[in-house]
Amino acid sequence: MPASPVAPQSVSAAAIELQGLVKDFAIGLRGVKLRAVDHLTLRIEPGQVFGLLGPNGSGKSTTIKLLLGLLAPTAGRGTIFGVPSERADARRTVGYLPEAPYFYGHLTGFELVRFYARLSGLGGRALDEGARAAIDRVEMTGAADRLVRNYSKGMLQRIGLAQAIVHQPQLLILDEPTAGVDPAGAAMIARLVLELKAEGKTVLITSHLLAQMEEVCDGVAILDRGRLIYQGRMADLPGRGNRQAMVLDALPPGELEELRAWLAARGRALHSVETPRAQLERVYLERVGKQEQS
Amino acid sequence: MRALPFSAGQAVLIAGNTLREAVRQKIIGLFLGLALALVIGARWFRDFNFGAPELKFLADCGLGAMTFFGSALAITATAQLFFGEIENRTVLTLLARPVRRSEFVVGKYWGLLVLLGAFCALLTAVLATVLWWREGELMRDFPAAFATGRVVNYAGVAVAGFLGWLKLSVLAGFTLLVASFAQTQLFAVVSGFFILVIGHLQYLAQEAYGRSEAWLARLGGGGLGLLFPNFNLFALADAFVGADLPAWSQIARLSLYGFGYLGTTCALAIFSFRHREI
Ligand SMILES: Nc1ncnc2c1ncn2[C@@H]1O[C@H](COP(=O)(O)OP(=O)(O)OP(=O)(O)O)[C@@H](O)[C@H]1O
Ligand SMILES: [Mg+2]
Repeated sequence: MPASPVAPQSVSAAAIELQGLVKDFAIGLRGVKLRAVDHLTLRIEPGQVFGLLGPNGSGKSTTIKLLLGLLAPTAGRGTIFGVPSERADARRTVGYLPEAPYFYGHLTGFELVRFYARLSGLGGRALDEGARAAIDRVEMTGAADRLVRNYSKGMLQRIGLAQAIVHQPQLLILDEPTAGVDPAGAAMIARLVLELKAEGKTVLITSHLLAQMEEVCDGVAILDRGRLIYQGRMADLPGRGNRQAMVLDALPPGELEELRAWLAARGRALHSVETPRAQLERVYLERVGKQEQS
Repeated sequence: MRALPFSAGQAVLIAGNTLREAVRQKIIGLFLGLALALVIGARWFRDFNFGAPELKFLADCGLGAMTFFGSALAITATAQLFFGEIENRTVLTLLARPVRRSEFVVGKYWGLLVLLGAFCALLTAVLATVLWWREGELMRDFPAAFATGRVVNYAGVAVAGFLGWLKLSVLAGFTLLVASFAQTQLFAVVSGFFILVIGHLQYLAQEAYGRSEAWLARLGGGGLGLLFPNFNLFALADAFVGADLPAWSQIARLSLYGFGYLGTTCALAIFSFRHREI
């Protein structure tokens, strides 16, 4: 088994390409079919952070499983860096964190990450060092030698993230990575995703937290009942380039009117005035950080 | 040239993890403890104190423990170690690595074979030790009964251990085949016990059908014999107290029979698991 990650097959290959992907599940006894993914065609360029959005049951996780060859498509095909999904070597340079993950309870966090790294071809010194580094990166060093069986939900999510990045994959697929993770963890994940992007990696994320997605994604697609209903780049979203939010000391009503008038005289409008409510998160992060330091 | 679409290295990694789970989850520990207690305790069950028959009783106890607890281990461990991955969805993260489904199934097979091998090897070694020790005692107390020297054929004990392992492996192979398409763990376990019973009793059916006038019944009996292994064949070396070793050619034929079943169930399990929605 070669230790080095396989280079993309051709330079022009998309990181992910889905063509006319369809998945029907047989449900019930009378052969009733449920179409979970409906003629999905999507192309994700290398180096992007791409968000897959949509309501519950819209087919996001199913799409990911089809892409990874974990499910066989009813029709259509998917490729990863030009290699068809059904081939094992398509997954050589992919890291995957499933939704609501569960891992081998009989292993410690370190052994778990090491096991997955070996399956991806890591060996020798790179193996232990890589596993330690990945665990450090998700801030799980303190719990690395505990049995995974005793991990909390968010800890499982973090160790799952460590196993997904341990072999430094070119493509990272995260299915609801922030579900069950504390605010500091969510911020850590966002930071990690941006770091990976800076390293030129491609990241595919699903999440229901649109604000977080807006922070990290370059592009998004929205699915609804298996169909692609929107696809676009974050930079093109309406009202992004030409609006600003400012936080000021509170103005008395008179001065607020003066500000409106001042703006109106320049042909601009003040769209909303509200009291910021993001205080809880700040208090939380400040206090929790202090506890850990002392 | 395209490389072979199978990596033994990946299967070995999966087998290793399977073994580690069996040991750490104490799946093997319970059965091993019970079986060892039976083998060692058999000495005190009854006190014959008259030579060969007592040794024969000890040997029967030991091999009985191996078959009884070993069968339970083979069935439950197979169902648990294979199904656990699907129920806990750990199989998703595993197969999202560059791991083929065939490597997963073969890895599970190898892990189980080694697990059962360790179980049988340990029991056989303990049985041989108990026999040797008791034989020595009896030889001292009743030299007349041992005029021709030792009566236990220790090579036979080893052969019996090996054939016992092969039998348990075939049973595990069938259970894994069922587990590869079963929807629940219980179904796999119950099927495993069915196969165990059929494997031990089918010779009765075959004898009855074989004598039957109706060709359909004979065909049915033959089909049954082809489909399911005849576990009684593996009891070949049970009579190793005061007896000769069975002919090597017979042991070889029996091994071929066992490994044939193992290979076939493994191939079918791969085929069925390839098309399974996980
Ligand atoms: N193995 C399966 N058998 C039958 N139906 C399935 C199976 N897996 C998924 N489905 C169905 O396919 C549809 C899409 O499911 P999927 O898990 O892809 O949704 P999702 O977009 O990931 O939702 P969520 O946001 O809740 O995670 C759902 O209606 C689901 O019930
Ligand atoms: Mg989902």
